[in-house]
Amino acid sequence: MNASPPRGWQRYEPSDSAPWDLQRVVHLHRRAGFGADWEALQRDLDEGPDAAIDRLLNPQQDPAFERLAATIGDAATASGNPNRLKAWWVFRMLKSPDPLGERLTLLWHNHFATSNRKVNNLVWMREQNDLLRRHARAPFGDLLRAVVKHPAMLTWLDADSNRKGRPNENLGRELMELFTLGAGAYAETDVAAAARALTGWTITRQAFEFRESRHDDSELTILGQTSPLDGDGLLDLLLARPETARRVANRLGGLLMGEGAIDHEAINSLAAGLQRNGLNIGWGVETILRSEAFFRDDNLRTRVTSPAQHAIGALRSLRLADSPPSSLLVAEWIARMGQDLFYPPNVGGWTEGRSWLSTRTLIARANFASALAEGALWRSPDEVDLVVGLPPGSGPIVERLSLLFWGVAAPDSVPALAKDDEPTTAEAIARLLSLPDSTLG
Amino acid sequence: MFTRRDFLRTTSLVTAAPFVPTFLAKTSRAATPVADDRVLVVIQLDGGNDGLNTVVPYGDDGYGRARKALRLKESDLLRIDDHVGLHPRMKGAKQLFDDGRLAIVQGVGYPNPDRSHFSSMRIWQSGRRHDADLEAYGWLGRTLDLTRGNGSASVDAEAFFVGNQATPFALWGRRCGATALTELSDLTLDGSFPPLRDSDRTDLGSFVTRQMRSAYTAAEAFAHAEQAAVASRTSYPSTEIASHLSVVAKLLRIGSSARVFYASQTGYDTHASQLYTHGNLLREFSDALKAFLDDLRANGLDERVVVLAFSEFGRRVAENDSKGTDHGAAGPVFVAGAPINGGLYGKTPDLSALIDGDLPLGVDFRSVYATLLDQWVGVSSEEVLGERYDPLPLI
Repeated sequence: MNASPPRGWQRYEPSDSAPWDLQRVVHLHRRAGFGADWEALQRDLDEGPDAAIDRLLNPQQDPAFERLAATIGDAATASGNPNRLKAWWVFRMLKSPDPLGERLTLLWHNHFATSNRKVNNLVWMREQNDLLRRHARAPFGDLLRAVVKHPAMLTWLDADSNRKGRPNENLGRELMELFTLGAGAYAETDVAAAARALTGWTITRQAFEFRESRHDDSELTILGQTSPLDGDGLLDLLLARPETARRVANRLGGLLMGEGAIDHEAINSLAAGLQRNGLNIGWGVETILRSEAFFRDDNLRTRVTSPAQHAIGALRSLRLADSPPSSLLVAEWIARMGQDLFYPPNVGGWTEGRSWLSTRTLIARANFASALAEGALWRSPDEVDLVVGLPPGSGPIVERLSLLFWGVAAPDSVPALAKDDEPTTAEAIARLLSLPDSTLG
Repeated sequence: MFTRRDFLRTTSLVTAAPFVPTFLAKTSRAATPVADDRVLVVIQLDGGNDGLNTVVPYGDDGYGRARKALRLKESDLLRIDDHVGLHPRMKGAKQLFDDGRLAIVQGVGYPNPDRSHFSSMRIWQSGRRHDADLEAYGWLGRTLDLTRGNGSASVDAEAFFVGNQATPFALWGRRCGATALTELSDLTLDGSFPPLRDSDRTDLGSFVTRQMRSAYTAAEAFAHAEQAAVASRTSYPSTEIASHLSVVAKLLRIGSSARVFYASQTGYDTHASQLYTHGNLLREFSDALKAFLDDLRANGLDERVVVLAFSEFGRRVAENDSKGTDHGAAGPVFVAGAPINGGLYGKTPDLSALIDGDLPLGVDFRSVYATLLDQWVGVSSEEVLGERYDPLPLI
């Protein structure tokens, strides 16, 4: 990490206007993970921001978890049933000691949105998912090269039918528009030239192969530079562009910062910092998480949570992942809320933010809350103990839950309750999870 | 003690909410032209429908020669004219035809037919014929991409797929996606929900509150719509395709802003013992279509809706040895609804002029698409299909 953070990202020091309080501990966990249980919140409150952020950035390895997850993943791909692969990822999100890693994997799944609808190969979809996870904090170039050369992406974007004399522009276009530069930073002639640079890439025996004979090695002009260019050269060229750094910065800002919490200039300086640091994603994440901007008041509860975050967050903070619910059912609920894992709607991925909140998906969120509270996510409702993760104490149940979910006793949207209204734990959970504040994190 | 369910019993959100939910779309987004209210419903007859036993050219000697086990008796057919009649079990469709609400386009297909379900369906769903284009986006997805309003704040679905399968490729857009609705309960609140306090803390906070109240209100409106449907005694047969179409009708009744709806009926892959199965499928399809259009009419929605029903290919003219038929080529397409010019279109196939034992192509399916796109949906078919196709006088 550079000694001095880029402009707009000065380091956070607790102060009177932004104290290290329960609300900020909850905020950190909701943004950089899936929320935390009461014990973890108290621990982080005691130990201070540096220790809390360190733990998220450098989580402890858990070989036993990895072995179990791998076994579940193997069984899922062998079954040929995509729902089991979704359940595998849900299991990881529920139990992983590295929630930030899973959130980043989700981010990259959306950035490199690939759907099994067309790929139709669970082994490849899982491999891609593991690539996203492995490179989640790496230099962006490592991630990009690994993902675009994997058969899942090559199939998704028709690299196989892109050959000399018969270029298919799909990969070239999305590479520029979605993966690196972003719309508006290139011309149609650049797309055509990029497609020619990528000719020769194909899949042979389930793996990437460069076939010289199909490659168009003529001189190409891309973004004003003229040279003979192959796919690797094209990636290098795109990675070096400032627009790519800005796109990565925007992605990280979108993941970790709320709506309207940062301006253009902060993104530009983060982008410049990323470029100086070899587009290192981990550096970008750390810069944001340790920043004063991240903990400012106007960044609290200003981001719409994704369906996966919503569902997993409720389960993890209530410690209901300890007696794990059916990950198949949880994956199904996440899909109903609008995020069908491994099946993003199109090449652009899910439109995040406010788009998560349509009529149907909000009804799904409310119904998920009921299902959770009624124990319907478990094989038998008796398996779940809703009280296990409640903050201790004798205060009203709604207030205790509110502290656990949002770090405050009563956020704006919680209506005043009648004096004699003391709901059961299940009722309180269902109610609070159907409030506007539950969709924000 | 105040429970979630008590709240639902005691409060009508429709009256409690001080605004029109976005789900009840066009009313709240006022200045939209009337043309925007036009809706296209696509029904996919999945598996390759035996068109020859659907719209039967009984006047052609070749029919009896080709079909021994599967031959439908002339006296049982529902006569359309002196040459063709509908399958005896398509009474609903026949009523629609007589009422001017059903157009039958004969001999629809595409050049150089591919008998694979997958590639043939891909061709129909993409609306393209060249291999490279088939991998891109679906014809309805591209249509929605073109009709998508700029800067619209709406987060409601642009299209609905009603069914249990994955969202069909036809609906994949570059930027637009369809909402897959598996069951009515997707729009039904299981419990009640807490009263929502207005939040003016932030723009986002008030957006979420508004959106949430709107969703919960829509759920209640939907519940009312369901009750209304019972009260108006519009009855649907208890088949899967009828239930899918009844969901579409309900979505329209409660004011969904989606312009494209899609449902599919599976089971048309009848390689063996076809007679009974196929008759049932056609009865289910035709009765469901009739119930759907009658429901729309009863609710004053029928001028807004056109239905297209297609299958990825017809079957071979000659039956096989298992009293079934194998994958063939061209077949009939149905276009239905109050706005259309009902009748019989396209040349009745001549069974003495088969190509490799298949019915020849009479009408390119993209002509049907082009007609609907240009004259109903109001987008340039050339842009969606990549080429110009001659329209049919269907609308």
